[in-house]
Amino acid sequence: MKSIRTALSGWVEERVDLSGVKEFIQHKSVPKNRHSVWYYFGGVTLFLFIVQVISGILLLFYYRPGADTAFESIRFLMTKVQFGWLMRSVHSWSANLMVLAAAVHMFSVYLTKAYRKPREVTWVSGMLLFFLSLAFGFSGYLLPWNELAFFATKVGTDIAGSVPLVGEPIMQLLRGGPDVGGATLSRFFGFHVALFPAIFTVLLTIHLLLVQKQGMSSPIGAAEHGEEKSMPFFPNFVLRDLLLWLIVLNILAILAVFFPWELGVKADPFAPAPAGILPEWYFLFMFQILKLLPAHIWFIEGEVFGILFFGVAGLLWVLVPFWDRASQRGQNNRLITYLGIFVIVFILFFTILGWVM
Amino acid sequence: MKKLLPLLTALVMFILLPQFGAHAQTEDQCISCHASMDDKPSAAFRSDVHRSAGLSCADCHGGDRRSDDMEIAMNKNKGFVGVPKGNAIAETCGKCHDDEERMRKAGFKGETGQLKALRASAHSFGTKATDALIMQCTNCHGAHGVRRHDDPESPVSPLRVVGLCSSCHSNPDYMRRFNPALATDQLAKYRTSVHGMKNGAGDTRVATCADCHTGHSIRPAEETTSSVNAFNIPTTCGRCHSDADRMKPYGIPTTQLAEYKSSVHGKALLEKHDASAPSCNDCHGNHGAAPPNVESISNVCGTCHALNAELFRQSRHKVEFDRMGKPECETCHGNHGVQPATQAMFSFDRDGVCGKCHGPDRAPVGYKTALKMRSMLDSLVGTIAMAERRIDEAEQKGMEVDDIRFALRDANQARLQSRTAVHAFNLEEFSKVLDPGLRIATTSLSDANAANEEYVYRRVGLAVVTLIITLTIVLLFFFIRHIEKKQAAV
Repeated sequence: MKSIRTALSGWVEERVDLSGVKEFIQHKSVPKNRHSVWYYFGGVTLFLFIVQVISGILLLFYYRPGADTAFESIRFLMTKVQFGWLMRSVHSWSANLMVLAAAVHMFSVYLTKAYRKPREVTWVSGMLLFFLSLAFGFSGYLLPWNELAFFATKVGTDIAGSVPLVGEPIMQLLRGGPDVGGATLSRFFGFHVALFPAIFTVLLTIHLLLVQKQGMSSPIGAAEHGEEKSMPFFPNFVLRDLLLWLIVLNILAILAVFFPWELGVKADPFAPAPAGILPEWYFLFMFQILKLLPAHIWFIEGEVFGILFFGVAGLLWVLVPFWDRASQRGQNNRLITYLGIFVIVFILFFTILGWVM
Repeated sequence: MKKLLPLLTALVMFILLPQFGAHAQTEDQCISCHASMDDKPSAAFRSDVHRSAGLSCADCHGGDRRSDDMEIAMNKNKGFVGVPKGNAIAETCGKCHDDEERMRKAGFKGETGQLKALRASAHSFGTKATDALIMQCTNCHGAHGVRRHDDPESPVSPLRVVGLCSSCHSNPDYMRRFNPALATDQLAKYRTSVHGMKNGAGDTRVATCADCHTGHSIRPAEETTSSVNAFNIPTTCGRCHSDADRMKPYGIPTTQLAEYKSSVHGKALLEKHDASAPSCNDCHGNHGAAPPNVESISNVCGTCHALNAELFRQSRHKVEFDRMGKPECETCHGNHGVQPATQAMFSFDRDGVCGKCHGPDRAPVGYKTALKMRSMLDSLVGTIAMAERRIDEAEQKGMEVDDIRFALRDANQARLQSRTAVHAFNLEEFSKVLDPGLRIATTSLSDANAANEEYVYRRVGLAVVTLIITLTIVLLFFFIRHIEKKQAAV
């Protein structure tokens, strides 16, 4: 066995010089401290992304975009194709878990201030990947062309349309016309399977290269707390990552089988909107806040105010490495921590409120 | 004494004269004057119901009834309006007849609010006071010789009202001005009806126009507020036909309304508000209302159940029923109380209908056919019910069963069609409809069972996969510990 491995390794090395990579892997280490558990969520997000890619490709074999074919093709997939139901269920659950894992990863990086120099670009690329994951979710939600997705997309694109100045063209661009219809479905399909994956791959490559190059960030003050320990990246960290991936796979399988994703009723653009139209859970807090805002705040419309608020808050969040000077200096910036906790509580509160109401 | 008598007379006359004078002043000078002219209105007014109630010409025409001076009596300053024109006629009548309190004080116990009803009726162009009325009160009741509606001399009395209504409604030229689509043959049809024939013979108790359409609240039949709208017709007809006292002289039953309400037609119309369900007039006719004859029942039912009627006419039962003088559809289904057709009709017990004529020893071919049809129907109905149950079970488990449910609709369609096919009373024709349905139901049941089995398979598959993954996790965990122990030792 060992001789085969040596022979194979020799065969490759005669053609490609892998000594640098080998060297890098052998000497790469991961900090070991009380916050180490959060390091794994990036890996979990990556694992779920891989599941998304595989299950998505399998769905593509049967999915037929179009207002007259999308719903029918998914129904065919779920009823007639061997394990088709499982693929769709896995894809849907994995998408939701991926957003959840990405959110946990983002907040853990934020709260441990791992975005500070020299990891500003890693943070920004990660944030862009996160936004892109939400865009994946939004575009993918419409693809089965069922009633709930149709009206949720209608509401979602309406909200995008109320952004001052650029709202209307953005809405037209997303919908491919004045209303949600077959053109919207074609566009969302294009975004979901071509445009977004292409951008995502580039950003993910940058993000992973930077993570590998810069290594994991140690929390501020870890040295003073005597936590300057580390573990080898390979095999220790990789095997632990694999262990968690297997646990996530198990959870995913249980969710997909016990709670299969329902297909619902086919979208009818001429039917009245059913009661209880809700966006995906990760947009629910924004949707709920926009609903609760008064018609006018000062001189601007409540909805426009809300969108501008989320836009500015999101931008500040993305740019945190550039304005959090204290953390850059290695000081523990409590204001940033409290702000992060407030944001988490705020999002959780309005998500639950949106769900309950 | 003789000398005193003229004096006393003169004294009494002197004392009483003012009263005599006053009496002369309160006498209705309108009547006195117009009677002296021998004009028709005043002559007709002598028999008018209003005169006996103490009303005068001035109550409608205005003016001063007490003055015998025409200049004063018919002076506009005294409120004289002359002959009311247009809506003013109905408004004049409505002043009293729409004022319930006033009518009750005058001792009138009948209906009030006629003007309001007239404004809302088909005889008005609108409900507002400014909207023109097509009919004024005087068009039906007359102007000066108004009588009670049950007075045989009244134009609205039972024996005369039909002629009154038809004076307009049987005139195509006149009716075209208001509603060109409205039929004008009501009177001709009415005279062929049981109601019309008895009315023509002088029976004042049978239904006339106003009994069904009401006197003043007449609305087009297609409006739901109309007394002759399909949804209201059972109540309208039932008002007389459920009245045992009223029907007693005619010797006809009074259970029709109760039976109809419990029937498949009555429930569809009155409970499910299905406007396509038949009301009384759909089978009996409206203006020409009469019970269908024995031989025409299948034609009547066939207006809706066309295929059933067509198959029945071609069947052997048609010949036999005609020979035996049995009413066609009614023999098996009943009339007013028609119940939903189920396979129980094929049984030979109390609920069955085939057993009325067929039995093992009586017309046995029909008996065997009925038994076979019953068995086939039971099989289809049972398979559909079982498939529906299994589909529901699979759906509750989260399985996608839309396709199976959709396919099963064809089996139900076949079941419905078999109800029609049975009227051919031919086993071969019946099988042609029922067998494909049974095949679909069987396939659906099998698919539903497969969906339920698939559910179990998924659970078992999940258990196996979860076990393998969990085992791998445990092994990996121990492997990591093993490696790290080795690293710590080094």
